[in-house]
Amino acid sequence: MMAVVGRALVATSRSDDEVRKELSILPSGYTMQMLVPSGPGFMVKVEEQGHLTLVSDRTQKPDLSITFKHLSFAFLVFSFQESTARSFANDRMVLDGEVSHAIRLVRCLNKMEAIILPRFVARLAVKRYPRISLGEKVSKAARVYGLVAKHLVLGR
Amino acid sequence: MAKPYYEFFSPVKVIAGHKALEHIPFELKTLGCSRPMIVTDKGVRGAGLIDHVAGAFDSTSIDVAIIFDDVPPDSSLETVRKAAEVYRGNNCDAIIAVGGGSVIDTSKGTNILVSEGGDDLKAYSGAHILKRRLKPFYVIPTTSGTGSETTLVAVVSDLEKNVKLPFMSQFLMPDAAILDSRMTLTLPSHITAMTAMDALTHAVEAYTCLAANPLSDAYAYSAVKKISENLMTVMEDPKDADARLELAQASTMAGIAFSNSMVGLVHSLGHALGAVCHLPHGLCMSLFLPYVLEYNRDINGDKVGELLLPLAGSELYATTPKEQRAAKAIAFIRELRDKLYNSCQLPRTLKETGKVSVGQIEQVAQLAIDDGSIIYNPNESDFDELVDILKRAWE
Repeated sequence: MMAVVGRALVATSRSDDEVRKELSILPSGYTMQMLVPSGPGFMVKVEEQGHLTLVSDRTQKPDLSITFKHLSFAFLVFSFQESTARSFANDRMVLDGEVSHAIRLVRCLNKMEAIILPRFVARLAVKRYPRISLGEKVSKAARVYGLVAKHLVLGR
Repeated sequence: MAKPYYEFFSPVKVIAGHKALEHIPFELKTLGCSRPMIVTDKGVRGAGLIDHVAGAFDSTSIDVAIIFDDVPPDSSLETVRKAAEVYRGNNCDAIIAVGGGSVIDTSKGTNILVSEGGDDLKAYSGAHILKRRLKPFYVIPTTSGTGSETTLVAVVSDLEKNVKLPFMSQFLMPDAAILDSRMTLTLPSHITAMTAMDALTHAVEAYTCLAANPLSDAYAYSAVKKISENLMTVMEDPKDADARLELAQASTMAGIAFSNSMVGLVHSLGHALGAVCHLPHGLCMSLFLPYVLEYNRDINGDKVGELLLPLAGSELYATTPKEQRAAKAIAFIRELRDKLYNSCQLPRTLKETGKVSVGQIEQVAQLAIDDGSIIYNPNESDFDELVDILKRAWE
């Protein structure tokens, strides 16, 4: 599940200007990881103009790491039963790195969830559902799902 | 609604009272210490506050080994290294911090070095790096606001790289916080007002933001009541030792509350304003508290409304319909700010500070939106909304 979220985040960085703007502040080559200890996770790298790419070799220490204390806590967040902010507030994650960058990553995750999930599900996953028209949501979601499917099928 | 999950941790012994300092020698003895080092700054020492602490060791078998009073307003790696050197050079076996935030953070950093060895404090920066107990450590706050005596965090500046290094570990928490009315009795009125508003903000945000939990609520609620009942008493009679002690306890209780349930948007904006305009932290809290409560009211108005009871008392609470209590609580805080303005000219608006320009508003909003505490705010904020709050706080 976390690998799919990582791919969806990468795809969102190629589909949404707001997410790209958030990420373009970070230095090129900056790496961010979300993981469960001894379990699943994903690492992404910031490229030029706020585009993300997946990092397959996760042995290097990332610039920013968010570690869920247990697999079930990651499941709560990525099955959209608990917002990322609520998960932070419930002490379910440990942050290692610059806090302001983590806040940006959370905003990107929120926007991704608002785009790819039906509104009634996304409302559970974010503090406030953003202003986004149905047309924008459908076109961006289609692009994100398309890019994720392509990655899963073709591996690129 | 029941809280589905929370954590609460508060291992700091609180020693509070008019003769609390005199309990320190016994506390040191119980941990086998006989050569404590006092860490403080020149302002605290110049105000004669160290005399009260040193006097507590008269006629005991413990001597203060050395007083290190070279702590600047912002703690730095260099200061921590110097303090560790002094500690080692004098064969000390415990640290007593006497002062405010910078002194306490310096002491926490010093304790890492003298306990773990070496001079590289940077190696311990980050969350949960420390793995064992440090040397015995005591904190005597000289203001009633920061609550640092109960928190597991320290921030030390790396002046070479111009960055602030955070340290977070349960082992940084002191063995005891000593609250003695003598230590705040001579605090100037404007500092008393600012630091009390800092403590009030800690309590209010701890109670109303996302990570609030039943135990932190209990501390926050009582802290709000103590501040509401005693702040103006102290402003009118600064030598009222009982009221001073109540404020000191309120600050510590608010510290326990927010170290377990964090803070929200008032702090995000306050941190940003402090960084851009170099205003004292407590003043920044006072400037934004009512505006942020108003902004969040649609989301958490029920909890803000509950605070009307400790703020204004039972009569007003009982005669106010439930749906109007949040607005009344916010109005009460505005009135408190008016009283403080009349008493010591504590600014109520950004304009009144005389140190903020309209042109800086967007810069403050940009910094605030990336502040770590914003994630705990119940309302999701965007840049335009932060600009709007800042404009409301302008005049």
